[in-house]
Amino acid sequence: MIKEKDHEIVFKYTCYRREDFSVCVGCKICASVCSVNDLALNVNPQELLLKLFVGEKIEDDHPLVRYCTSCYRCTAACPWQIRIPEVVRAVKESLGMESRFEKAFKKSLDIWGRVYEPFVVAMTALDLLRGGYIKYMPKWMGYAGFHLPHKVKRLKPTNASKGSNPSEEGRS
Amino acid sequence: MMEYGYYPGCSLTGSAKRLDQGVRRLCKKLGHSLAEIPDWNCCGALEYGDRNELVSISGENLKKAQGICREIIVPCPACYKNLKDADPERSFNIMSPLELLNPENLSQIEQKRDLKGQVFFPYYGCLLMRPEGNSIKNRNIMEDTISAFGGDVNGENMKDRCCGGNQLFLNKWATERLSTLILGKTKGTVVVFCPFCHMAMKTFATGRKVVYLTDLLLYVMGESNSL
Repeated sequence: MIKEKDHEIVFKYTCYRREDFSVCVGCKICASVCSVNDLALNVNPQELLLKLFVGEKIEDDHPLVRYCTSCYRCTAACPWQIRIPEVVRAVKESLGMESRFEKAFKKSLDIWGRVYEPFVVAMTALDLLRGGYIKYMPKWMGYAGFHLPHKVKRLKPTNASKGSNPSEEGRS
Repeated sequence: MMEYGYYPGCSLTGSAKRLDQGVRRLCKKLGHSLAEIPDWNCCGALEYGDRNELVSISGENLKKAQGICREIIVPCPACYKNLKDADPERSFNIMSPLELLNPENLSQIEQKRDLKGQVFFPYYGCLLMRPEGNSIKNRNIMEDTISAFGGDVNGENMKDRCCGGNQLFLNKWATERLSTLILGKTKGTVVVFCPFCHMAMKTFATGRKVVYLTDLLLYVMGESNSL
């Protein structure tokens, strides 16, 4: 759960300010185009913005946070072009809801500066086995191929930017 | 003939190697040369909740490109979006390979085969079309390309719907439902330009081919023998 006092971290992550969400008129056009609603999950992205604006707690396991596909259909439809998928992603990170797959992705970036797919597969092998992905292997043979990882020499430390507080300035 | 910077991105060194090879071969055929950005790093894809962190990671690639190139070809749509987000001043011209295609150079392509009698579904997915300001300029370029070589196209109202590709390893039922929704309302060979879309469509399509547009062009040019 993200408590009211913890909303600031979401604003910091997204570079939106609380007042940026005051323009939301509640038209729900974001909900009408949301891909998550094609999954019959009945989500309303506008409700998430409202919770952040008025400072209400956000529950764990919100279906939008779990299933948002980052399709940006909401952003394209929104009269204010609010990048809701980025808000959702910030909430997800704040809630610590990242999956093993997402963690392996970031770990690879920390080690090599690039995503080394064999590493991600190895780190998530159990999930792939338990999740029933094996049956897709014949279709995925075209994606296979071995290459050694390349170690990037210069990658800005990923926490280098965390010292600033962009939420004070908002989005350009 | 132009010289462009080239940012392949992580998936094009692995699971989407086919797209990487296709883009390189296509550019060569169009007379363009590609100079890979030295020591490029991951763009961060869709995995970071902290926008500043994401922009910082993507922006590092633009620093590495400084003094080398101003126009950068970026095939992967997620990388394309992130590099554009990292360059709000538009100091660089971040381009999808799709933006290299236009009616003029399509008509100059030395055509060895045509696509007559074949049906295609040109599928762009999300990040080539949204968010506004980051999208490709010609939103019909795949249709234009396929039509130029005699192929029939369908699926206009599904071409920018979401396949759920980035949920494939998180909630595969969601990807299956979104992809099959698109597949059910379209017909013919699925033509994509996104590695996520390729994998999602390939995984859930039954009895339909899924190809990159580069595969199609190289086939038309006689550079490959089958689709």
